Formats: sequence, structure tokens, C-alpha cells
Amino acid sequence: MALEKGIRLGIMTLAALKKSGGLDAALKGFERFYLGPEFCENLIDGSVCEEAAWLQGKGKKICLLTPLLSEKGAGLLDKVFKKLLKFAKNGRLDPAGLEITVNDFGTVELAKRNGLPFTLNAGRLLRDNVFDDTGKAITVHSGLALKFFRELGIKRFELSTLGHRPDVNFAKGALFGFDRREFRLTLYYPYLNLTTTRTCLVGMRDVPTEESVRGVECSRECLISSFELAHPSIKEKLLVRGNTVFLEFPDKFYASEKSLARMNVDRLVYAPFP
Amino acid sequence: MKIVSCFSDLKELEPLAGAGADEFYTAVEGLPAFSVGFLPGRDLAPAIKQAHALGKKIALAVNAIHAAATDKRLAAIEKRIRSLDKLGMDAFIISNPYLLGLFSGRGKRLRAELHLSSVQPVFNSLSAAFFSRFGVSRLILPNQLSPVEALKTLAFCRERGIETEIFDYRFFGCAYINGRCQLHKPGHYNLKSAILGGNLCRINAKAGGLVKLRTLDLPGRAKELPALVKRLEDRFTCGGAPRLSNAAAFFDFFASGAHYLKYGTRHDAPEVKVKKVGELRAMLGLAERLSASLPPAEARRDFIRELSRWNGGGF
Repeated sequence: MALEKGIRLGIMTLAALKKSGGLDAALKGFERFYLGPEFCENLIDGSVCEEAAWLQGKGKKICLLTPLLSEKGAGLLDKVFKKLLKFAKNGRLDPAGLEITVNDFGTVELAKRNGLPFTLNAGRLLRDNVFDDTGKAITVHSGLALKFFRELGIKRFELSTLGHRPDVNFAKGALFGFDRREFRLTLYYPYLNLTTTRTCLVGMRDVPTEESVRGVECSRECLISSFELAHPSIKEKLLVRGNTVFLEFPDKFYASEKSLARMNVDRLVYAPFP
Repeated sequence: MKIVSCFSDLKELEPLAGAGADEFYTAVEGLPAFSVGFLPGRDLAPAIKQAHALGKKIALAVNAIHAAATDKRLAAIEKRIRSLDKLGMDAFIISNPYLLGLFSGRGKRLRAELHLSSVQPVFNSLSAAFFSRFGVSRLILPNQLSPVEALKTLAFCRERGIETEIFDYRFFGCAYINGRCQLHKPGHYNLKSAILGGNLCRINAKAGGLVKLRTLDLPGRAKELPALVKRLEDRFTCGGAPRLSNAAAFFDFFASGAHYLKYGTRHDAPEVKVKKVGELRAMLGLAERLSASLPPAEARRDFIRELSRWNGGGF
């Protein structure tokens, strides 16, 4: 099982990456680029289609990240999907080289309604539907959970590093009704997304009792910076960007590609920032 | 709008009904359920009988998202749920989609209704459409959804005859997304000291010096940083991100025709449960009275004004 290496740019544009001096190294070091907002619908932007087409022109594979959606985000994403379809139809994008990561079951529905020809993956916000990675091990709940997603066309699941090499129950799959060959894992490092809120920790103002808001409004404060929180009760620092809280595991967390293969990980995605 | 109340002891049913509960729900050990506060398994069959004798429906939460089970264990879970179905359980509250699939498929459909837990949060009408294919008869909406954002979902549900349920904002208000939060999972971090309530979301400390800048990505907006640091500190020391659920949001859901109002703190003491259900009944009564006697905008204004005077009920 060959290990594919990807980089999660997320909301960082290629122009910003170039400006930082990192574009050439990224093109040289990674086969797959992860583009688009993973955690917030306010950052959905159609320009990701041009970036995907440009990167495919450089021989790179793409995975488009999509967040949890309200009605507003669903409308924005619908436009992106239609644009991707147009690009695929006129040859600007190769559907075989583009995947879409979903973090909301509404996105599965939207992809179906648009007849998207792209492979879907289950993102990190859906991981709890299939896996328990909250202890020292990563376990599949049941073969039926994998089957549920397989029937939606989803065989790849995205997880975060746990900061150590976890045990897995994949070799005992028969007891849980699954075969480890039925799915593949993508592992993000070095950040683990611990929790997400819709109402942005950094960007959204408080809501007075007399107000019923139209939605989550912000000024894209998440693009300005990330923060570190020294929680008095735990040893690790919590990292905050926008609406999501992360833990960072900067040290190497696996022994070899062989050990990743034992975890069904055939894709490793580096996130340069939380 | 009707009131759904949790219970975790048979003795609670009658007083809760007296306080205004229209429906009940509970959870039992041995079946995967979210949170704590369980009815002893042996009491389930009597609970079904007692609820029905009171003229109320009863639901069972099987809504843990982490529903790990070997095939053998899963067969036992399925057998137990099907036997409760035969005993007359009115609904099962489910979050993990594989369990939804297990009990909604052709030839396997339960007699009881299936309610989609807020632990599998539906934030848009597409998601509602997705889950409606599994025969879900009720959506329990997440508290991080505003009534305006929910309009299309509510309309979809009305069209399909799917009921909708919201939580009372006064007694449930987690700021993070249910079913997607791992702040309660100490496996990911190392504790220095005991955490209040077993999770990280409420820091028992004063604001100041907790938050530092990690990276500055847009130097042109650096002047905004002091305000952002203050905002973060305030939020982490006061329970998290902003709440969308409040008096105005409740009234708007009520006026939009949401069907059920839930109180779900199963681990509350029996007398607290009864008192809280009384508070739900009073709030609902106020909304009904004002809506029946005033034009909509005035009813809304007066309702919010009354609820802003609510003193916390002494809880």
C-alpha cells in the first residue's frame, strides 16, 4: 500500500502560499492538495475551482474540503458544485483527480442532487459516526457503520493524529462485522480537532436575549490569527482558530509507513496551521 | 407545542405529568445512549405501562454516536430494542446512522417511531431530506440553529409530516456541536487537575493571561487582536461560544410551528425535574396566551420582556 502525501491548505489561497515562499516546496513535496474550508461555511468561495484546475495542471491531485452547513452554506456550496461540474464538463478539471470531503450529511444530499462525478470522503467532523478515537485506540463501531457510508459511495475516512500510535480493532474486524479492506484512512497531522462550534469563538458577537439572529455573522477574524489557550486543568495548550479548538502533537507519532499501513492509513496530510 | 420531559426513575412519571409533561423519554444502561442518568433496565416495561396509563407517549434514547458493538453485542441490542418495540415503546431516539439503517430498512422497520437525536445535528433542509429517507418521524433540532436558519427545514418537515422538537434554552445550552465534540474525552489530553463536570468547556478561572497569540497571519489587521484576545478569554471562562438559543429564538420557533419543547437533563434530581417542567409549562403558557391575545410583533415583544425578567428559577 503506497503512502500518498498531501498538504491541507484549507483556507489559505495559492497566492498567499506563494507570497509566503512556500508554493514551490509544497508543489515539490506533496501529491495532493486539500483546499477549501473544513470547519466554517462563511469561508466557502468559488475561487477554489480555479485553484484546483491550476494545481491539476501542475500534475497534482485535489481534495475539496467542505464544512458543516446551514441553509446559507448549502446555497454557497451549491454554486461551487455547479462550477466544478462546469469545469469538469469543459475539460478544465479531471474528475478522477478530484475528491470532495463532506462534513455534513446535507453535502452528501447536495452532491447527489447535482450528480457530481467526484469521489466523496467522510471528513473529520463525521468521524464519530464510524470510529471511536477518543481513547488510546481507534476502533470501528460496527461493520454496519462502514456499510452505511459505503452505500453512499464513501470508503475513505479522515481522522486526526492522536499524538501516538494507536491500537486498532481492524484485525478483529470479523467480530465487528467488517473486513479491513473495505475502507481507507486519511490521517491529518499535527493537529487534532477537539471541538467545533457554529457560533465562532473569535468572530461572532454575543447574542442579546431580545435578538433572534439570521445566522452566524463575522468579519473573518479567523483569517487574522490563531491563538493558544493555557487551560489550567490540562498539560497541553489548546489552539483556537475561528470556530474550532485543536490540540497539537508536534512530535513524530508513528514509527514507519508499515505501521501506518497497519492502521489502514494510506494517505498522510500535513496541516501547516490549525 | 407540547412538552417532552426526561425521567430516570419510575416515581418521577406521575409528578412530571402533573407539572405539565405531555411525553416522556429516558435511557437505560446496556443500550448506547448519550450523557448520563439512566433508568434501571428492569423498570422499562413498567415505565411503558405507567406512561400509557397516564395517557402519555414514551421514547427511549439509544442515541450514543459512539455505538461500538461486536456482531454478538449488536444482535443483543437489536433483540432488546425489538422486544421493547413489541412491549409498546412509542419511539426510539437515534443518532448513529447505522442504527437508523438497522431499524428502518425494508422488512426490519420497527413499529415504533424513529426520532433523530440532536446528537446527529441537522442544520439544513438537505440534511433533513437525507434523514427523512430513513423514515424519521421527528427531528430533534440542535440548539446551535437559529429559527431563521431553520425556516426551510421546518417547511420541509411540515410538508413531509415530520415533527420538530427544540430544547428549552434555559436548561440546555452547550455551545459546541453535539455529537461532534471531544472536549469531554480526556483520552486526548493529560490532566493536571480535576476538571469541573469532567470536561474542558468551562474554565474555573478568572479571565486574564490565559490566551496568547499563536500566529499572526494578517498583520494588516493586528490592531484587532487585543479585542479578540479579550473575547476569547471571556468566552472560555464563561462557558464558551455565543448561544443562539434565547427567549427570542424560542418564541420564533414557537411561532413557526415547532411541535415539541424538550427538557432533557436526566441526571437532575426528581424535584428539580418537576420544577423545571413546571417552568417549561409556564413559558409555553405565556407564549400561547400572548399569541392568542396580541398581534404577532407585540406578543413577541411582551414575551421577550417577560422572559428577560425570569430569575433563573432558583436552579
